[in-house]
Amino acid sequence: MKLHFNFVVLLVLTWASCFSFSAKADELVVTIVEPYIDFRTGPASEYPIFHVAEQGEAITILKKRTGWYKARTEKGEEGWVSAEQLGKTTKPSGEVLYVPTGTFEDYGNRNFEFSVFGGVLESVTSLSVGTSWKWTDNLIAEATFAQALGNFSENILWSARLQHHTFPEWKLSPYLTIGAGQIRTRPRSNLVQSGDEVRKSDMYEVGAGLRYYFARNVVVKLEYRNIVALTDRDDQERLEEIKLGFAVFF
Amino acid sequence: MTKLKTSFQNLSCLSIGKLLIASALLLSAQVSANSAPSAQDQEAQERPPALIDPNVERREIDESDIDTENFEIGVFGGFISIEDFESDAVVGATIAYHVNENFFLEAAYAQTTAGQTSFEKLSGGAPFLTDEERDYRYYNLSLGYNINGESFFTDTLVFNSDFYFTVGAGSTEFGGDERFTVSVGAGYRLLFTDFWALRIDVRDHVFNSDIIGVEKDVHNLAFTLSTTFFF
Repeated sequence: MKLHFNFVVLLVLTWASCFSFSAKADELVVTIVEPYIDFRTGPASEYPIFHVAEQGEAITILKKRTGWYKARTEKGEEGWVSAEQLGKTTKPSGEVLYVPTGTFEDYGNRNFEFSVFGGVLESVTSLSVGTSWKWTDNLIAEATFAQALGNFSENILWSARLQHHTFPEWKLSPYLTIGAGQIRTRPRSNLVQSGDEVRKSDMYEVGAGLRYYFARNVVVKLEYRNIVALTDRDDQERLEEIKLGFAVFF
Repeated sequence: MTKLKTSFQNLSCLSIGKLLIASALLLSAQVSANSAPSAQDQEAQERPPALIDPNVERREIDESDIDTENFEIGVFGGFISIEDFESDAVVGATIAYHVNENFFLEAAYAQTTAGQTSFEKLSGGAPFLTDEERDYRYYNLSLGYNINGESFFTDTLVFNSDFYFTVGAGSTEFGGDERFTVSVGAGYRLLFTDFWALRIDVRDHVFNSDIIGVEKDVHNLAFTLSTTFFF
């Protein structure tokens, strides 16, 4: 038991030493090139400037929150510096520090995207989320999940889709989608006499959308999709959905 | 581990170096005693063996190594007043992504169990809902707007804080049904450190319900306290 305890202590100590070492090694020190840099008390432009670091001073970058970087001066003063100001400092190698300030170029280099939509699916309010991965400049793979809660039924739709962006370099860019998934419908409890009557059916969808690069890492999206649900009945069900939402990319 | 290793290596390097110097000195003393020092020996004396290799390989640290803290995860607890069904304790979790210094996106999930309506209590008759149907669960996706500021508790005790508004939509599962729910609220976030905050939230959850017979919009107000971490 004691051996076990010792082992745990040793493990914790090793881990702690490892951690402190790596934390120190990962710190990035940059040199100020511009006449000065403002240090604020918080990560937003509303916070007051309490310190000014001068040209030639070396500052250590500690962490990042949205467009703000926490930095420490050689004297130990800690504050928040804007991405715009930090983007004019140099690394020990002499290169200018690359700071993503939410330019259109960053948008082109995105990998993942997370979107949220509000819309109407056959006159029922729908809410959907999606994650997408940029495969090539033109092709994007996406997984979506939607919930449409109406007065007569609750619908859950999920699909795997492929988007094609014909003009990815445009700020306002149209795209086409094609996908397959499943739709699950449950009638309202007050309409069913006994038990839940959940219907599940496969579905295919085609659609078109328009996306607009808004600012920083935000994109506004408008989308239409036409869904064919392969029901157990004789007729196939056609559903239309139009939705508006936004996405953040990483 | 690396640190331990390096320090150990340094230690051994140093002691080996000391040993080397000592033996070199001893050897040279013997040599000088035996014969006159040659030019080669002098050179060797002037250049002691390198203790530390000056060509240390520097680890390349770049922008991608900067710790980014844009996500905020938290748990909350509080009370929710469910229209017609008493007030009950509610617990839940949130995850938020801060897009910029002002806007954030947040997903919340919470659950509680609804109580009885006044009618059920007074009449003593059959209950409206089964126990399972009284489980009240909701989720919502919200967009929030921070009004950044600082809170001065005393002259020297100052914390960053913000007041925020949220607007969102989601779903509420109650009484055997799921209903589209709109939620609006406001809150206060007090940041004790850069990454640890305390939040107080008031949020109204509005949905259309016909559980007690007539169809109407119900307002369910939740007062919650939460602790969140940025990562």
